[in-house]
Order: sequence, then C-alpha cells, then structure tokens
Amino acid sequence: MPSFLPAVAEQLFRDIHKTHQETSQIPDDLLIALKFVFGLCALPALDLVDLHSVTCLSSPSGRKAFQVIGGSGRLYTCFASCHYCPCPAFAYTVLRRNEGLLCKHILAVYLSQAMGGTRQESVSDQQMSVLLSGTAAA
Amino acid sequence: MTDILTLVFRTFTSQTAGSEDLTVPPTSPATCSALLVGDAGLSRSVLLLAAVTAASEMGVRVVFFTHTRIQSLPPCLQKRVPGLSPESLKKITFSYPRTMEELLQQVASLHEPTNTSPAPPSLVVVDGLEGYLCGPGECGSGLGGFHLGERSVQAAHLSALLCDSAAFLTQVLRSRSSSSDLCRVVASFGSPGDGGEASAADASLDVLDRYFRVRCTLDRAGSYEAAAAGLHEVWNIYLSGTGMAEASCAKDCEDRPAVAQEWKLFIPPDGLMEFKLV
Repeated sequence: MPSFLPAVAEQLFRDIHKTHQETSQIPDDLLIALKFVFGLCALPALDLVDLHSVTCLSSPSGRKAFQVIGGSGRLYTCFASCHYCPCPAFAYTVLRRNEGLLCKHILAVYLSQAMGGTRQESVSDQQMSVLLSGTAAA
Repeated sequence: MTDILTLVFRTFTSQTAGSEDLTVPPTSPATCSALLVGDAGLSRSVLLLAAVTAASEMGVRVVFFTHTRIQSLPPCLQKRVPGLSPESLKKITFSYPRTMEELLQQVASLHEPTNTSPAPPSLVVVDGLEGYLCGPGECGSGLGGFHLGERSVQAAHLSALLCDSAAFLTQVLRSRSSSSDLCRVVASFGSPGDGGEASAADASLDVLDRYFRVRCTLDRAGSYEAAAAGLHEVWNIYLSGTGMAEASCAKDCEDRPAVAQEWKLFIPPDGLMEFKLV
C-alpha cells in the first residue's frame, strides 16, 4: 500500500531505527529533526514510548492493530497501515484544522516500532473485529 | 482500482468508438482505492458494473456493501456483459448494513476466516457513503461545528478501516499465490444538496480524499449535448487525485501504458451504457 507519510518522515524513522539499534539512544540531531517534522506532538509521543504505552495486537487471522494508552489512561486503537486515531487531537488538529500530520498516539506507534519498544499481545479474531470497528465499550 | 474502472469503461465502449488502442493499466498500489463522486443513482450503476466486471472478467471475489437492497441489475449488464453467468455472480457477496455501526462491524470482520475462505475478496465496494454518515440531528450536539466534526471523524474511521482492511487482504492474496494481486477499494459519495448539506459534504470529501487515492467524478453534461445526439443522458467522467499523479510518474519512469483520465458516458433511452475515451 502507498505510504501515508512524507518521504522525510520515513527517512527520519529509518535513521532513528538504525541509530537506536547501534547505541540504544536517539541523538540530539534526530530529536531536533523529530520536533521539526512533527511539531508539538513529538515530545508527548516520546513520553508515551518511554512509558511502554504501545501494544501491537495480533489475531490468528494475521490481522494486526496497535493500541496506545493515552495520558488520561484511555486506550486508543490505531491501524497498522494508515493514519487514524479516535482521539480528540486527531479529529481537531489533523482532520479539522489540517495543522498536523498525526497525533501523539500514531507518532508513538511509529517511534516504538523504530526503537523496538512495542509490547505484543494476542487477541481472538472476533475481539480484533470489535476493536477495529470501534464499537467496543471504552 | 483504476484498472477495474478502465476495464469497465473498455468493456462497455461502443463498437464504433475505435477502442483498439485502449489498454487496461496494470494494477498499481497508487491507484487501488477510488472514490466515485456524483449522482447517487449513476454511481450505484457504475459500482455494480465494476463488481460484475471484476467477478466475471477477472474472476475475483467481490464484497459489495450498500444501504438499499439491489432488486435487479442495470439493463446493460443483463444484455451485454460477455462473461456474465450465475457462477461469476456467486463471486459477489452483497451485504446491506443499515447503520454506520453495522457497516464498521462488517468491514472490520473481513479478516476473519469465514470471509477469506476459500479466497479473500479482491474488491471491496461501499455504495452511498453519505447515507451512513450522521445527519444534522444525529451527531449529539445541535451545534453545526460539532456535527461537521463528528461526520469527519466517522468518514475518517470508515475510510481508514477500508484501506487497512484492503492492505491486509492484499497480504493474504499474495501469501496464497505467487501473483502480485491487490485488494482494491471503491466507494461512492453522492452529490450534496445546497447550503448546509453542501458544507458538510465538502468537509467529508476533504477527509475522504486523505484515504482514497483516486477520485472519479461523474458530471452530467448539458442537456443540449444529449438532445443533439438523440440520447437520454450524457455524462463526463474525470479521474483525478494523488493516485493518478503517482501513476503518471510511474509511467514516465517505466514503459507502462498511461491511465486515461477523461471519458464520456452515453445513456440512450434503452439504458445501455456506452463509454468513450476522450
């Protein structure tokens, strides 16, 4: 599927992945680049990664999704291949105002994958369907 | 998705239109999601043509979501589809979700083994997206801003779920065969009325354009054009969007046929649709 990220963002995540594999750290220049590309949600996203807030859910069919624990403790289900988050920031800043590429939850998913900090959890196919449809109780 | 749309247009091209140089573009990730925008009735007919063409000429499974039960196929399908047979029609699964919640649940369950056996669908169709988005009195607060926001979120959720489902089904298709087949998504969004409805539709379309890489606009031509040709209706069909731009770039880099971007649709009084490349 075509990427939903601009090329500069994709390259940035590749650089973070490579550097983190070698040094277990993100150097200042990449942090500055992250802030420059993603703006205000960069630091909150890094905080979410530090707190191990991102979980990759898998079901027997092979379908995957990501679940992120937000600052308020609420769970947000994000998709594996395109950008959507049920949080208010995504609805307002990204969709309504078109002022951001993504919210901190989606950015945290990308960063935790680049840094290898994603938890893994298995769910049933039916549970996956409920989570993807967003019809589960919060 | 433009490969299927072009196949539909080519299949129903007039015999006198000189279609010998028409080629169907190869399947491309850039063009695998398309949104039809325009008259609701015509969009539905084009979507049915796409579904039947995919099932009969490409031999792939199709899932077709629509609000209104389909009572009969358009006249041109009944009389002209070369490979139309009961066996090919069985490849199409029609589903009639009544609400956005039901539609989300059914799309979300496409990954389950009951829907991917014996083969996963290669085409997912959603007819009449605007009918599933909440209306002015249905989005909680009566304030217009909140209503528009809620519609945008619904549009984004459904579109993202469709695209993510198609990406997963593509992986399944490729893991089960050595081909580079894709799962395509096509949806229709009917033309809005005036005033508040148009404003809400514009906001929804802005959101939908984030996820659907190709837009297929159906625009009715002036009545004089139809009258002059002795036809019931004449329509202009335009293909646009980021997916078309990417496909054009790919064509420049590789030796691929270009994706035709403008067509005309002629509908005579007997309803037999005919397409012509402009």
